[in-house]
Amino acid sequence: MKPRVGIFSLTGCAGDQLQILNMEDELLDLVSHIHIVDFQEGSSYKEEGPVDIAFVEGSVSTETDLKHLKEIRERSKVLIAFGNCAVEGGIQAMRNDEGSIDERLKEVYGVEPGFFDARLSKPLSEYVDVDLDIPGCPVEKEETLRAITSLLHGDTPLRFTYPVCVECKLNEYPCVIIESGKPCLGPVIRAGCDARCPGLGLDCIGCRGPVDSASGFAAEYSMLLEKGYSKEFILNRLRVFSGEVKEDFLGGDQ
Amino acid sequence: MLVKVLAKSSFSSFVGALGDYGDLYAPVKTSEKVHSFKEIESLTDIDLSYTRTMIPPKKFFIHPEEVIFEFNIDEELYIEPPGGDERIVLFGVHSCDINALNLLAKVFTEELPDKYYLERKERSFIVGVSCVPDEYCFCHSTGTSYAQEGFELFLHDIGDSYFVRVGSLKGHEFIATHPSLFEAAEQSHYDSFKDAERKMYASFTNELEMAGLQDLLDMAYESEVWTEYGDKCLGCGSCNLVCPRCRCYDVEDHINLDLNTGERVRKWYSCMLSEHGLVAGGHNFRPTARERIRNRFNCKGSLREDMPNCVGCGRCTVFCPAEIDYVEVMKKVRGDLK
Amino acid sequence: MKVNPLEPMKAKITEIETMTEIEKLITIKLHDREYAESFSYTPGQFVTLGVMGVGEAPISICTAQNDELELEFCIRNAGRVTNAIHKLKVGDTVWGRGPYGNGFPMDVYEGNDLLLIAGGLGIAPIRGVLQYALQNREKYGDISVLYGVRCYDLMLFKDDMLDYFRNGDRHGVKFYLSYEDKEDQVCYGLACERDDRCMHGMVTDLFKKIDRPSKKTYAIIGGPPIMYKFTIMQLEKLNFRPERVYMTLERRMRCGVGQCGHCIVGTGKSIKYVCKDGPVFTLWDAMNTKGMI
Ligand SMILES: Cc1cc2nc3c(=O)[nH]c(=O)nc-3n(C[C@H](O)[C@H](O)[C@H](O)COP(=O)(O)OP(=O)(O)OC[C@H]3O[C@@H](n4cnc5c(N)ncnc54)[C@H](O)[C@@H]3O)c2cc1C
Ligand code: SF4
Ligand code: SF4
Ligand code: SF4
Ligand code: SF4
Ligand code: FES
Repeated sequence: MKPRVGIFSLTGCAGDQLQILNMEDELLDLVSHIHIVDFQEGSSYKEEGPVDIAFVEGSVSTETDLKHLKEIRERSKVLIAFGNCAVEGGIQAMRNDEGSIDERLKEVYGVEPGFFDARLSKPLSEYVDVDLDIPGCPVEKEETLRAITSLLHGDTPLRFTYPVCVECKLNEYPCVIIESGKPCLGPVIRAGCDARCPGLGLDCIGCRGPVDSASGFAAEYSMLLEKGYSKEFILNRLRVFSGEVKEDFLGGDQ
Repeated sequence: MLVKVLAKSSFSSFVGALGDYGDLYAPVKTSEKVHSFKEIESLTDIDLSYTRTMIPPKKFFIHPEEVIFEFNIDEELYIEPPGGDERIVLFGVHSCDINALNLLAKVFTEELPDKYYLERKERSFIVGVSCVPDEYCFCHSTGTSYAQEGFELFLHDIGDSYFVRVGSLKGHEFIATHPSLFEAAEQSHYDSFKDAERKMYASFTNELEMAGLQDLLDMAYESEVWTEYGDKCLGCGSCNLVCPRCRCYDVEDHINLDLNTGERVRKWYSCMLSEHGLVAGGHNFRPTARERIRNRFNCKGSLREDMPNCVGCGRCTVFCPAEIDYVEVMKKVRGDLK
Repeated sequence: MKVNPLEPMKAKITEIETMTEIEKLITIKLHDREYAESFSYTPGQFVTLGVMGVGEAPISICTAQNDELELEFCIRNAGRVTNAIHKLKVGDTVWGRGPYGNGFPMDVYEGNDLLLIAGGLGIAPIRGVLQYALQNREKYGDISVLYGVRCYDLMLFKDDMLDYFRNGDRHGVKFYLSYEDKEDQVCYGLACERDDRCMHGMVTDLFKKIDRPSKKTYAIIGGPPIMYKFTIMQLEKLNFRPERVYMTLERRMRCGVGQCGHCIVGTGKSIKYVCKDGPVFTLWDAMNTKGMI
């Protein structure tokens, strides 16, 4: 029997689902191996019942999201946090440390608590067990395909556990920090993009989120301070895709 | 040692002959601060005034990422990818890098010969070129500023011409098939060669005292140096990936969507990455940057086959985004024993 | 003969025994007869076992060389490769390279007493040493084994071990067992059966039970990193000379042949590659190679 696969969406831009549709060359092959029970962006077809592999994109930003996520977890064997929002909370989580959701809704919309079905944006792992994470904003096609293939083969997919710099070096790209002092986040961001931005002479903005060992965060922070970037600039930059970056995390334990 | 002289006026013919011999690779400036060994289309691409490439010439022997086997599950086969048959000419390799390759060759070919390495070594033709050290070079300290072996030809700039040392039979044969390019060396050439070497040796500004370094590193095991630089280190792995003496690699299996065929890939790796010392059960033998940087410096400072495991090329300092200076760290180690 | 040392050789699984919830004993037969016949090894050596499309992992050979041309491995399901191996059935193919590493120098131990100390999965290589010594019983003096388990359910090689426990004296081996779980009824039963040989506690507690080892004893240890420290403290109390203490180490390994660098330990003074210089080292090696234990 073909494994039953669901592709689900919480709060996000649906860009990760789109990446699956973008796998033009492999899509037909892929669907011959799997049975898709839910894929909002691909088809209106939906099936109830157990799911072998659930891809969940988007962060938990509403009560509805949370309920949906818990239901997905209930019915799924393997749950994959799919894309930066699901893995780290996404861009919508970057201001989580600046006041409660109620205060912020009041400030922006002038509404009382409970008016909107909103919560602080959090990654899936905040609420349920996540079996695998596929990071990126959006996810990489190649990595996604490899993960699915690995799961179909019955293994745990390989994860990138090293930073972007490794791919940057293997490609012989000039380092933009060294060339021109750009605030590259490559040293602390999870590889898998084949150092796309440094390859174009651009500094990595961290769209794949932090690499497992966050031991480099404090060092990256001091390095950029030393290069003359302001504390605010660096924190903002780190927060965009790395969820909540606490200040003590930057100075603290490795 | 056989010695010849190559007049600079014959330089372009010489490079042309190298190009005829095989695929020609030489240093090319690829950005403000980076040189790279690239395939040469035209003579003007070559920049022999370079100090160091970012990625060392080891990339020709152990590729940064390469398929070591293709597999087929149904047929139960591991298939070695076919080796190439084109000859590779590496032109403009500096002494430090040649010495680094000599050690790498020992690691990869002596006990259990690595097929891939041997095959590429077999069809390579290395032409060394003398160089001028910059403020990061310290190969005179590591004893690698002069290459005794590991090349076919070595060109020393002596003004109007190159003093050419012949390092192998292949090199000798190349000269024999291009007699018009080379002249016999006269006493004056020897004198200029000696002068040039003396000058080069005198021009080093960076220095690392090597005596007893191995013991000192051992005694500095608990030193604060490792915490100090561990805190600064980003854990990016660049220092190892640019090091001509580093040889660590990782291996991964990639299976295709047919769930039957796939590849076993090996790629360069670094002990500065957090998983280098991780074993099953989640135990990590080098859990923090402190242990990792200590391991790196101890590995680099050790002797392998009686040769220092660092050839003083300065790459790891130049290409560390956190500006961690190899020589500075080792000097601190010398001054801080615990 | 093999020309590419990284090329895995085909083998078939001939037997699988589930030993615990996470450990299986897997017997394999190498496909290539010539390779199988030339495959000679000493206890403590390992092979890399692999599954196509997943990868390879270093696994100790847990037998002494025999004529069967079969190899046994005790494999804990600890990650990707070992998980894939656990899913295989009899008749399936696995891929192996080796044997690698130095192994225990059984010839050095000849004419001496042996004190084997094992905890957890460390029993796998130690079992090979014990088998070898018993096959060549006349070459060795007294043989004692201290084996520590968490509880009966996690005991590996149960049949063998219980046989040594009950009938060891007949084979010429004094077998001691410790168990950590106080509530364990089976182990408690064993302790009642022979309270001079079995007790509740850590493997190091068994030192209280044994006779003082003679001066010509070699201690041979296999176990998790934490066990080494405590065992060595005991051995030092008994004045073991550091070159009479042998142990086998675990590190991350990718190649097994001294190339990939993952298994590096030590300092500038003494760098060792566990796959090639080890995995068996003496305490003297460890005293001179920082970070080894
Ligand atoms: C000389 C030697 C002898 C050995 N002998 C034996 C033996 O006889 N029997 C035995 O069972 N073992 C033995 N081992 C240990 C065995 O080699 C390891 O357990 C091996 O790493 C298992 O490989 P694996 O691919 O299954 O695990 P891996 O998948 O490589 O797991 C290794 C590490 O990665 C982590 N990991 C796993 N999956 C993930 C993931 N998805 N994301 C992040 N981290 C992950 C694990 O927590 C673990 O720390 C020996 C080791 C050595 C060095
Ligand atoms: S450009 Fe960025 S990713 Fe590349 S090496 Fe430099 S810091 Fe790392
Ligand atoms: S350690 Fe640094 S200086 Fe020494 S060989 Fe490697 S890159 Fe060059
Ligand atoms: S252990 Fe580190 S320093 Fe040594 S060769 Fe490997 S990467 Fe280089
Ligand atoms: S290059 Fe510098 S920052 Fe990166 S791992 Fe090496 S020492 Fe650390
Ligand atoms: S396992 Fe590769 S060097 Fe030891």
